[in-house]
Amino acid sequence: MALKGLDIFKLTPKTNCKQCGVPTCMAFSMKVAQGSLPLEKCPFITDDVKDQLSEATAPPMKTLKLGEHTLGGETVLERHEKTFVSKTLYAMKVSTANDDAANDALLEKVPKVDYDRIGERMYCEFVFVEGTEGENARFLDLVKKAAALDRDLILATSDADLAKEALAAASGKNVILAGANASNYEAMSGAATAANALLGVSGESLEELHDTVAALEKLGNKNLVLVTTGKNAKEAFRNTVEVRRGAIKGSDRTFGYPSLVDVAALSGGDPHMEAAYASLFTAKYGSIVVLTEMDYAKALPLYGLRQNIFTDPQKPMKVDPGIYPLNGADENSICMVTVDFALTYFIVSGEIERSGIPVNLLISDAGGYSVLTAWAAGKFSASSIAKFIEEYQVEEKIKNRVLVLPGKVAVLKGEVQEKLPNWKVVVGTNEAVEIIRFLKDFQY
Amino acid sequence: MPLTKTSQKFNASINAFTIGTGDKAVTMGGENVLPFYTFDAPIENAPKIGAEISDLGMDKNVPGIRDYYAGAEDFTELARRASAIPGVDFIAFALDAADPNGEDRSVEECVEECKQVAEGTDLPIVIIGSKGIEKNETLFDKVADALSGKNVLLMSAREENYKTIAASAGLAYSQKIGAESAVDINLAKQLNVIISQMGVKPQSIAMNVGAASAGYGFEYVVSTMERVKMAALQQNDNMLQMPIVTPVADEVWNVKEAVVSEEDIPEWGPQEERGIQMEVVTASACLASGSNAVILRHPASIAAVSKMIRELI
Amino acid sequence: MVGLFDRAFKGSDEMYALAEKALAEALATHDESTPAVFPNTAYYAACIYEYTGIKVMTLGDLKSAMEPIRAMMTRNYRTHDVFTSGIATAMAAEVIELCKYLDTDTPYNGEYHGHMNDAEVRELGVPLVTRDIPGFVVIIGPAPSEEEAEALIKGYQSRGIFVFLIGGIIDQAKNRKLSMGFPVRIVPVGPDIWCASHIISLVMRAAMIFGAIGPNQYDEMNKYTFERIFAFVNAFDPVDDLTIACGACAIALGFPVITNDTKDMWRVPKTLIIQEDTKDWIETSLEARDIKIKVTNIDIPVSYSSAFEGEIIRRPDMQVEIDGSRKDCFELCITKEAHEVEDHKIEVIGPDFDEIPVGSKMCAAIIAEVAGKSMQSDFESVFERKFHTFVNCMEGIMHTGQRDLIRIRVSKNAYEAGFRIRHIGEVLYAKLKNEYAAVIDKCQVKIYTSTDELHDLRKMANEIYDKRDERLAGLTDENVDQFYTCILCQSFSPSHVCIVTPERLGLCGAVSWLDAKATNELDANGPSQVVTKERVIDENVGSWEDVNEAVAKYSRGALERVTLYSIMEDPMTSCGCFECICGIEPFSNGVIIVNREHTGMTPLGMTFSEMASMTGGGVQTPGFMGHGKHFIASKKFMKAEGGVARIVWMPKALKETVRDRLNATAMELYGIENFCDMIGDEESCGNGDPEELVNFLSETGHPALAMDPMM
Repeated sequence: MALKGLDIFKLTPKTNCKQCGVPTCMAFSMKVAQGSLPLEKCPFITDDVKDQLSEATAPPMKTLKLGEHTLGGETVLERHEKTFVSKTLYAMKVSTANDDAANDALLEKVPKVDYDRIGERMYCEFVFVEGTEGENARFLDLVKKAAALDRDLILATSDADLAKEALAAASGKNVILAGANASNYEAMSGAATAANALLGVSGESLEELHDTVAALEKLGNKNLVLVTTGKNAKEAFRNTVEVRRGAIKGSDRTFGYPSLVDVAALSGGDPHMEAAYASLFTAKYGSIVVLTEMDYAKALPLYGLRQNIFTDPQKPMKVDPGIYPLNGADENSICMVTVDFALTYFIVSGEIERSGIPVNLLISDAGGYSVLTAWAAGKFSASSIAKFIEEYQVEEKIKNRVLVLPGKVAVLKGEVQEKLPNWKVVVGTNEAVEIIRFLKDFQY
Repeated sequence: MPLTKTSQKFNASINAFTIGTGDKAVTMGGENVLPFYTFDAPIENAPKIGAEISDLGMDKNVPGIRDYYAGAEDFTELARRASAIPGVDFIAFALDAADPNGEDRSVEECVEECKQVAEGTDLPIVIIGSKGIEKNETLFDKVADALSGKNVLLMSAREENYKTIAASAGLAYSQKIGAESAVDINLAKQLNVIISQMGVKPQSIAMNVGAASAGYGFEYVVSTMERVKMAALQQNDNMLQMPIVTPVADEVWNVKEAVVSEEDIPEWGPQEERGIQMEVVTASACLASGSNAVILRHPASIAAVSKMIRELI
Repeated sequence: MVGLFDRAFKGSDEMYALAEKALAEALATHDESTPAVFPNTAYYAACIYEYTGIKVMTLGDLKSAMEPIRAMMTRNYRTHDVFTSGIATAMAAEVIELCKYLDTDTPYNGEYHGHMNDAEVRELGVPLVTRDIPGFVVIIGPAPSEEEAEALIKGYQSRGIFVFLIGGIIDQAKNRKLSMGFPVRIVPVGPDIWCASHIISLVMRAAMIFGAIGPNQYDEMNKYTFERIFAFVNAFDPVDDLTIACGACAIALGFPVITNDTKDMWRVPKTLIIQEDTKDWIETSLEARDIKIKVTNIDIPVSYSSAFEGEIIRRPDMQVEIDGSRKDCFELCITKEAHEVEDHKIEVIGPDFDEIPVGSKMCAAIIAEVAGKSMQSDFESVFERKFHTFVNCMEGIMHTGQRDLIRIRVSKNAYEAGFRIRHIGEVLYAKLKNEYAAVIDKCQVKIYTSTDELHDLRKMANEIYDKRDERLAGLTDENVDQFYTCILCQSFSPSHVCIVTPERLGLCGAVSWLDAKATNELDANGPSQVVTKERVIDENVGSWEDVNEAVAKYSRGALERVTLYSIMEDPMTSCGCFECICGIEPFSNGVIIVNREHTGMTPLGMTFSEMASMTGGGVQTPGFMGHGKHFIASKKFMKAEGGVARIVWMPKALKETVRDRLNATAMELYGIENFCDMIGDEESCGNGDPEELVNFLSETGHPALAMDPMM
């Protein structure tokens, strides 16, 4: 457990000098405890104190930055205990084992999947370039091609000299050099460090991996990613769980690094197996998951899953407030109003879409809470609904004057009617599953 | 510092839970570790897969499903085909047509359908009720009678209707009961408690703690399952040690990603493949979080998920 | 009592003799290998099977049962002897009945029902187990008149009670043209008292099927029937010895017997009840067997649904208005003794809507009188607050306010549909009985509408309200034996547990100790569980071992210790729904409190939402704590750190809300007058930094500055 804010506060100068950018020392301390500000922001904390604190505040798992991506930094094994902080990232794999045409085709597909889901950009973050033995030239070629894409790179080779060339070929890119092992770690570490790359380490066994990581740490390299793939799916799962669990539950800082699982290697080219394993390692402790290909069929469920799992339980997912015309709704279609809690939006819009009946779904700003919670917190009320109608100029945009309220807030009907006298306010259903029937039976 | 491994082998375990009879009976649960953590202790009963068939007939928009069941004229044949899918452990028959807000098929017809299904398979049978919570009471009463002696699992006893289902299916006909609650560990536990208070043995209860498609509030499913497993194993809470059976198919084959046609969103590619992957991803994540069994629809999904289970156990 | 024992023994001997005779006659014409089974049952002769273990399949088997039956007829004049003899009587009766089934499956030719098959046991058993059928009655003998017979049977039928008839009452029912049979839940079992064995057989099989009771489990069987089978007997005068012996069996199984026979009869409380007036039998019987009848439909001429809860009735649409601000009006829920309440009596005293001019105001007192073994006067206010929702869900009726400030508008449409004032009573009756069935056994509603009476009634009501307020104010953590948990919010804050005490209501402000208590009483498995406070660790900071154990248990191990009165040492966690957060302000040696509505900055340099992000989610953050507004003026607020004197800053609006109560607390604790004026706010400390606050506090002489350091 990290330090409490009050303990940190005792070590601050208690002058509220604001040089850290926060109004008071107390607020600063609370933010450090929460992990949202680094201790170094306070210019008055002495090195002694820093050392004293950094040991206590050091997380069980390192947080590594690579370009705009963050890896690791997890503090819990199950998301409900607090939250997961660094989402699983995905890589598409090209390899010198494929012929050039196949690789070209794959690289061409990389940028194809790139979309927004509830405010999050969904795309394949990495290209994983694998070099097989005796294919050095083609490997370097492939690295260059991959580097031309707007994606970070994972370069997989255990040949340290080749690695240096590949890193040079990819200069300017954010790179993970995956290929260190018990026999080559020193040279690989040198190459990675020189190129400012993270180093991927693997081992024949967990013991060997542990020893190699310890040796690398001795060399001063703590920018590591642990390759937990192993020989088969069972071993991969075991390795990935043991590494994460050792770090968080066993306080073994040697395992306190992000993991990389090559599920393409486990799936034998079967896209369904690949999806199954990618799902497994998204749910359980894979920091980077490597696939042969990320098409929409895989991306839609995997990114949805990832977005769910890496949601902070304390911060509900929100969708943007606004008018969402469904099933080709126009100004003559009725309006249904609900909250901006993402789950509510998805379920309600899904049911409306299935009904096939045009509806303008009005999503009002309710702080991302569900209907009843938002109502109880005063964030979904007659005035908030009326305010929404005004702010979004609903009356100008839509001629129809039927407004359907969620059944759970039937109690608001009178008040809403009072505030919106031109509208016909109707109480809808308690549950989303009843919407289809409600819309079909509704008398216009 | 050498590697010292952390183990999570618990003293408590999930109830071993058997459905069906004879050679083809299926046992799930029994483990004292987290899902697939065979490295902490052996998992004797691998997670199971049920093939879902519906009394509304099979999806005509999905070629793989349509073709697989093509020509199956009655429920006996549907059940026979479903049983022949490699990797299937049990048949999950969904009485969708009974929904009073849908086709409102009569209880007698539904009972007849269930009998037909029973004729087509010697695998264990799971009956999934209709959306009509009240109707399921009489429905399950009659189905439990008609399938008496087959040790079937009747899913979806909920807070609103558990009494009749527990008394009838659970006590009068000694069938297994599936307690369905909505992604909340306390609700799940409370339902198990009140069903037990009716006299149904905890060993005769399985749980459906709620399901969702990946991307659709699936975090609640994950957290509920993970908390249930920790309570069952770590704290030895015997009112949460029932195995979890999750009907995945009905969730995934209804979401936009699986339903929208390729004409509508060409860049998404073929609809069928999206549905399969949605089913595979959701089922795999359910199993990783705690489901002891998942109910799936597409033969390709069943193939992939059953292979994953084999590889991991 | 010896007399009663003797009559039971005598009846038991008589039944045994009749059984011997029936068996002898059967054996005279059949040999011992003749099959002797009831049709369509897997449980043989169920009484004999249960109590002797003998699986009777032939006449020879039946003969072999006679000795074990005899062996149960002990005569030591203890209650136990009467019970076993009663059960032996039922078995002997079963012998007599079984002999009738030797040559036919239908010895009664449809005139009587006789044996009930296993399918019928299941059919009746399921609703009995679920309590959809609240219980069943066995009525024995002819009633004094056919009319009385009919009234009794129909009375039970209308309450959903299953009725079995034995003896002369069957012909009476037939003469009154009552339709009978399993579907209408009135079954004519047979003409003679030994036919009662069919009902005992049904009970045995129900227990074996639904309770998994095996043969030879005497104690388990009797426990099961007592706890789970809600049956009772109504026996009309004259009650002979045979019937008394059968009654002994019923009583052994936990089924009370009610009779109007007074000759040679003895009263045994709750068990053998003499009630000479047969009109009271239904109520007496239901009370004796502890059966509560659910109200399934509400008898009102308008729709009832939560969809109407938010309906507003405008003046032009209004037929009549009950207005507490202009007229004497109030609503009240009070506890009465059971004998003072006649269930479902709705009384209107005074004029109805018809007599009031359209669009005008009227006065009304609505009093729900409830009785129940588990009812506590503390629940009255909890139930009374629900009147608002209950009444508001009627279509065309609008309800606001509570106590003597209620306003009820009835729309013209509702009035035209036939809505009258007694329908308010109907709704209250139905909702109270249904939602609070666990504690309310009986309920009657009185509605007064005449001006003359109401003034005094209102005074009476106000005295009751005052007493309740006093009781609430007098409730302290010290003078109660237990606290309650509240884990309603665990769905989104899994490791949070609220401990609700009289002086510290739930941090959401919505759950008081009384609410939690009622919740616990109504739903034993629900979110509010009892927390004892027997093993105190430190009363000053408010820590108890019991409380810690409860927190550990209900947070599933996430949290091991909390204190109830400290924010520095293991403070209570928050789910995120707190009304306010208090946080330590080190420079002034106190705490600031900020409420959810306040969006501005605080002297801590953090806004409400910034503080909320550190305090929610069931995590302990010493120095910070979420709580309800009401808690601010509590004597337990930060008691460990010196109490409310630590409060140095609050938003002005919040200060005004709590001013009176907080001033009173400060006066009582420290003798400080107008304490609130010493507390800073966003106006008195305009730029909101701690130094300004400290200066302000020095000027006002705030006590916190002189207190021990908080950290």
